[in-house]
Amino acid sequence: MTAHTFAYKDPILTLENVSIAFNGEPILRDINAQVLDVTRPNMKQGQVVGFYGRSGIGKSVLCRIMAGLIRPSSGTVEVGQAQQPVQPGMVGFVQQRYPLFDHRTLRDNLLVAAQRKHAPEAARQHVETYLERFCLAPHARKYPAHLSGGQRQRAAIAQQLLCSDHLILLDEPFSGLDVAMIDEVKRIIVEVTTMDELNTVIIVSHDIVTTTALADRLWLLGYERDAAGALVPGATISPQHQYNLAEMGLAWHENVEAEPEFAQFVEHIKQEIRISA
Amino acid sequence: MKSLFAPNAQPARLVFTTMVAGQVALLLLLWLFYPMQLFPSLGEVVRSLGDLITSQGLIQELWASMTTALEALAVATVLALLISYLTALPFFRPIAFAASKMRYLTLTGLTFFMALMVSSGHQVKLSVLIFGATVYLVTGMTSVILTTTQEEMDHARTLGMSEWRSFYEVVVLGKLDDMLEVVRQNFAIIWTMITLVETLYQSEGGIGLLLYKQNRYLHLDGVLAIQLVILATGAAQDYVFVLLRRVFFPYSQLGASA
Repeated sequence: MTAHTFAYKDPILTLENVSIAFNGEPILRDINAQVLDVTRPNMKQGQVVGFYGRSGIGKSVLCRIMAGLIRPSSGTVEVGQAQQPVQPGMVGFVQQRYPLFDHRTLRDNLLVAAQRKHAPEAARQHVETYLERFCLAPHARKYPAHLSGGQRQRAAIAQQLLCSDHLILLDEPFSGLDVAMIDEVKRIIVEVTTMDELNTVIIVSHDIVTTTALADRLWLLGYERDAAGALVPGATISPQHQYNLAEMGLAWHENVEAEPEFAQFVEHIKQEIRISA
Repeated sequence: MKSLFAPNAQPARLVFTTMVAGQVALLLLLWLFYPMQLFPSLGEVVRSLGDLITSQGLIQELWASMTTALEALAVATVLALLISYLTALPFFRPIAFAASKMRYLTLTGLTFFMALMVSSGHQVKLSVLIFGATVYLVTGMTSVILTTTQEEMDHARTLGMSEWRSFYEVVVLGKLDDMLEVVRQNFAIIWTMITLVETLYQSEGGIGLLLYKQNRYLHLDGVLAIQLVILATGAAQDYVFVLLRRVFFPYSQLGASA
C-alpha cells in the first residue's frame, strides 16, 4: 500500500444539511459532504468520489438533488469554484439507462450539448474531438437505437461532459454490466478525470468494490439509530461513514483490488452496512 | 408450418407470404361457392365496379371525398397538435380533457350546429369532419405526450435546456413519429364520418353519396364494390403513412425493430 502525495484546494461541490421528505416521509436527512479539488505534483488529476448506499435508500433522489433537478426540503447544494447554488445544467448527470435523444444521430446528440457552451464552429470541433476520444467516431451517424450498451454509455457521458462545468454525476454506472464492460466504464472514468484538473466524477452506486477502487473519497449512506436502538427515518451520512481513501493510501493505485488493505476496507464497509440495516 | 401455430413464433417470410395468399384464396373460394347467397357474387361485384367507374364517376367521387378528407385531416392534425402541446401549461389541460371527451358526441346533432355557424355545405361538411377527427386525434396525441418519462425530461434539463426547450426537444421533436402514427390510425375515422356527412350535404357528391344511393336502391353489388374501394384506399393510405414514417423518421423504425 502506497499513499501518494496530494493536496486539497478549493471546494467543487458542497452539500450542507441536505434533507428531503416526500409526503411527510423523510428520505434523506442532514447530508453533509464536500468534494475538494485534489492536486498531485506533476500530474493533471481530477477527482473521483463515491456515494455508496443500499438499493432503495434514496441514492437516485440524492443524484437529482445534486444535479439541481429537485430542490431539497432543507439545506443547500453549491457547485463550482464559485460555489453557486446548483441549477439544472451545471452538473452533468448520466442516468442509469443512459438516455440520449433517440431522434438525433449520435453526432447531433453531442452537438446539441456542445452548442450550449460553444459557438457553432467550436462546438463542431469539440464534438469531433470527443467522438475520437471516446472511440465513437465510426458510429457518429448512427441513431442511439443502433448503439450497443457500452457505446450508449460512452455517448451519454460525452454528451454530459460537453455541456457541464467539469462536474459529472453517474447514477449506478456499473449496474447490470459484465466484467469487461465494468473495466471499460472504469477506463472511461479515469480518462475523464485526466482530461482536466477540475473534472470531477461523482459515482453514486451500490457496487462497493468498483466504486471504492476508483474513488479518492467515499461517503456511505445509511440509517442512524436513536438512543433506544431504533432506526431514525431518513438516510444520512454519519461522521464515521466519510472515508478519505487518498489519506488511507487506497486511491490512485493501478490494481488496488488486489491489495489486502483494500479487501479489509471493503469488508469494513460491508460490516457497517449490516449494522445500519 | 409448425411455426404458424406456435405462440410468438417468427415464421420465415416465404412461409408467411404463402399463408396470407392461401387465406385470401380461401376467402375468394368461399365467396364464389358459398351456397347461401347473402352476398352478391364476385362476378356481380366486379361488373358493378366497372359500371360505377364508367357511368357513375366513381373515381371522380372518390377523388372529391379524398381531397375533402385530406383537407379535414390536415386542419384537424394542426388543431389537435396545438391542443395537445398546450397541455404542457396547466391552464389548457381542461380544454384537452374536454376535447377528448367530445368524441362521444353524435355527428347528427353536431351538423345542425355547424350548419348554423357556417354558410356553405362544403364548410359544414369540412367543419364536422375537422371536429370529429380533432377529438380523436387529441385523445391519441395526449396519450403519446403522457408517455414522456421523467428520465427523458431530466436528460434535457441536465443539458442546460430551459423548460420550453426541453419540452420542444423531448415532446415535440422526440415524439413527432408517434404523432404521425396517431394520425395514421385516426385517418380511418374520417372515412367513416365522410360517408355519413356526404349524405347529409349532397350538393358536392362524393363516394359517401354514391354509397348511399346504391344502398337506397338495394344495389348490394354496388355497395360492396364501393366498400372494397374504400377499403383499398384506406390500405393504400396506411402504406403511404408507413412510407412517410420511414423516410422522415428513420430512427422510429430502428427503435421498433430493436
